[in-house]
Amino acid sequence: MTKPHALDGVRVLDFTWVRAGPMATRWLGIFGAEVIKVEWPERLDSFRRNIVTVPTGIEPGPNSPGMFADQHVNKRGITLNVRSDKGMDILKRLIAVSDIVIENFSSRVMQSWGLGYEEQKKLNPEIIYVSMAGLGQTGPDHAYTTMGPSAQALSGQTFLSGLPGQPPAGWGWSYMDDSGGMYGAISALTALRHRDATGEGQHVDLSQMTTGITLIGSAFLDKTVNGRPSRRPGYPPGNRTTWPGTPVMNNYRGPTTAPHNTYRTSGDDYNAWCVIACFSDDEWTNLVNVMGSPDWAKDAKFTSLAGRLQYQEALDQGIESWTRTLDKYDVMERCQNAGVRAMPVQSSENRVEHDPQLKARGMFSELEHPVVGVRKVQNAPFRLSKNSVEINRHAPLIGQHTVEVMEGLLGISHREVAEGYNDGTFWPSGMPMYAYVEEALR
Amino acid sequence: MTIPLTSNRRGPLSGLLVLELADEKGQFCGKMMADLGANVIKVEPPGGQNTRRVGPFLDDIPHPERSLYFWHYNTSKHSVTLNLDTADGKAIFGMMAGIADVIIESYAPDYLTSRGLGYDTLSRTNPGLIMCSITPFGQTGPWRDYQTSDLLHMGAGGQMASTGYNEEDVPDAPPIAPGGGNAWHMGCNFAYMSIMAALHYRHVAQEGQYIDVSIHEACHLTTEAAVPNYIYRGEVVQRNTGRHHSVGPSFASQIESSDGGWVQTTGSGGNPTPRRLRGLAEWMDTYGLAEDLLDDKYLDLDTFQASLPHINSVISEFIKQVPQEEAWRGGQKHGYPWGAIRTLDEIVEDEHLKERGFFTEVEHPELDRTFTYPGPAAIYNGSPWAISRRAPLIGEHNVQIFCEELGLSKGELTALAEGGVI
Repeated sequence: MTKPHALDGVRVLDFTWVRAGPMATRWLGIFGAEVIKVEWPERLDSFRRNIVTVPTGIEPGPNSPGMFADQHVNKRGITLNVRSDKGMDILKRLIAVSDIVIENFSSRVMQSWGLGYEEQKKLNPEIIYVSMAGLGQTGPDHAYTTMGPSAQALSGQTFLSGLPGQPPAGWGWSYMDDSGGMYGAISALTALRHRDATGEGQHVDLSQMTTGITLIGSAFLDKTVNGRPSRRPGYPPGNRTTWPGTPVMNNYRGPTTAPHNTYRTSGDDYNAWCVIACFSDDEWTNLVNVMGSPDWAKDAKFTSLAGRLQYQEALDQGIESWTRTLDKYDVMERCQNAGVRAMPVQSSENRVEHDPQLKARGMFSELEHPVVGVRKVQNAPFRLSKNSVEINRHAPLIGQHTVEVMEGLLGISHREVAEGYNDGTFWPSGMPMYAYVEEALR
Repeated sequence: MTIPLTSNRRGPLSGLLVLELADEKGQFCGKMMADLGANVIKVEPPGGQNTRRVGPFLDDIPHPERSLYFWHYNTSKHSVTLNLDTADGKAIFGMMAGIADVIIESYAPDYLTSRGLGYDTLSRTNPGLIMCSITPFGQTGPWRDYQTSDLLHMGAGGQMASTGYNEEDVPDAPPIAPGGGNAWHMGCNFAYMSIMAALHYRHVAQEGQYIDVSIHEACHLTTEAAVPNYIYRGEVVQRNTGRHHSVGPSFASQIESSDGGWVQTTGSGGNPTPRRLRGLAEWMDTYGLAEDLLDDKYLDLDTFQASLPHINSVISEFIKQVPQEEAWRGGQKHGYPWGAIRTLDEIVEDEHLKERGFFTEVEHPELDRTFTYPGPAAIYNGSPWAISRRAPLIGEHNVQIFCEELGLSKGELTALAEGGVI
């Protein structure tokens, strides 16, 4: 017997695009919400144009980018011209039958359509409306637009990543889009709990940039409470907890300790690195034993935390002379079996092809998509004992579910839907239609 | 029986009773629930949770009541102390679990089960209970019992493979783990999400459930294009200085401004258009630094697109001549989604955040001081997200909860303290 979904019966009208918003609705969809993505072929989601993830040998088009296929699983997709009166009327009917409306447009776009929260509330008194603009809907800079990299720069996240005296390393992707997506889902679900408890909907005005600041809270308090400036020698200390030759100072990642660093492993692979951290004398002693008790490691200066911090450079060199002789997974196994914290630096290929933990936990399953074929798809990081969190629906082809939603959900007659295709409500006039759209119209 | 202590009474989670048995791995999930209105009771070992020993500390004086790290992650919560290795501690925890809506725990797999406090046992008397375990690798699998840290998760989860420097910028640089302890945030964000989903399901189906969250999987799922690039193209990304990972070379988008700050231009991000470029170039021209960007040829979309590398490099050279604040705001005014790489020194002065009510004054009555905390990232117009109180002192609510709510006498409380139970 298949398990029910936690969000069975919850309908999400999804205006999101690019990355953060679509990730929010990806998670809602995995919990079983009925997500309806609203699109328009003349104003494509940028990931429908993401040529760099179109599989080799597949013709580029709005249905072929891998990124889009991955981030839109478990959703339906409709095409609707919201700039026409008829399209706007249908949009309002969709809002009236939805539980959650979510968008990550620039600030106040929905308001400019005449669909701010107050108007949505008139259409549906219990509606939950989540907006995800970079800087939110209010405040002097609300009209500024951000992408993940600028949001994380403004939030302080970028600055606290990197080696001292070098440019910020930041995050090697839009962390604030991934996190912003989580917060979009979190906002919708929190408001849903409130509605379950009180019967009342509401507007959640999320600022993605601001979420980034809440994620560096102890650094924030070090500034507001202790007055400590962020621009200081030895900060940020790379992968260490404190940088040798600079004042010992907590770096907001956890306890100050050594060893705590990256080390090269055998081979010349780009990601032939491991990470090791010892949080006690016992863990250090265990590491010395795992390394075969080399003479350098038995030096009395390394027996105390103070000594290991003071002679961190020599400590790290010594450890690396050992890790360089081993494969990164070998380092992990030897260390972990001896009670030492160590892991490999894993590439995407390592995680997809090798990581035995992800494999054992079923992180990847296979899903067939009519354009990109049978591919691995990434599942959820949570297991619920009573609810399914499976991925069972490939990303929608553009306009794939328009007919189904208009007829099945809104009860619009087949004839009227066909008319909508002729008058530019459901498909741009003059743009050739895909075979699957014509098929649905038959 | 209910425990009427509450935090943010108007918050969206008001009315929920949450027990938190969590260290660094789970405390952020409890903080979110508490700031959003749930009554969160942190169940600490006698003497206090180990996260109280993590710095930085107030005035750099280490003390379990002065950890700013603990302060941040435990706002709006209540605290009791309880030794779960004693029969009395287990019994009292069982009483609390009997009336709780949610338990958040980040102990090692089997820790609670081996003490007779696993979900199957606790839910027998409280079938509506939702229990969420947040652990490094989840409750199953070959790495289940491996020990980790934030750094280790960043390595194994893929953050480091994507973050660092180009060889020409910083030769021999290692992959970099971004700071701030974000591995725990990723785990907690997903834990929070799944608890909310389970609460909705409980509202509909009238039953609780057990949730198993893996921090490793949470991190793995937070590396954006790295995995799709591999799945769909068989390509592995490389690290670039202060910008996105990429398969091939990419344009440097993090530019040093004239005052030694940095501006993130997001490369080609934000869908630049000839019209926007014209506005930007007119502004650049007021500095005499527009080069040829006002040339009408750039109004032609094809020429514009073909010239993006040149346009980007003129813009980069311009930013190098302008102070950070002026540069990023100027870009924004012309529709470019630029951002300053700010430090907290600038962030705590930000007028936009002030107006959105982000900065939250939190009283510490025992110190007779008030400090500014990071507040809500979202404005809920029907039920506010708001810190209601500072982090609790160790066992601050023992009397209130054990005596006034659970009915123990003061004498019994004393005996429990003497016996090492609380």
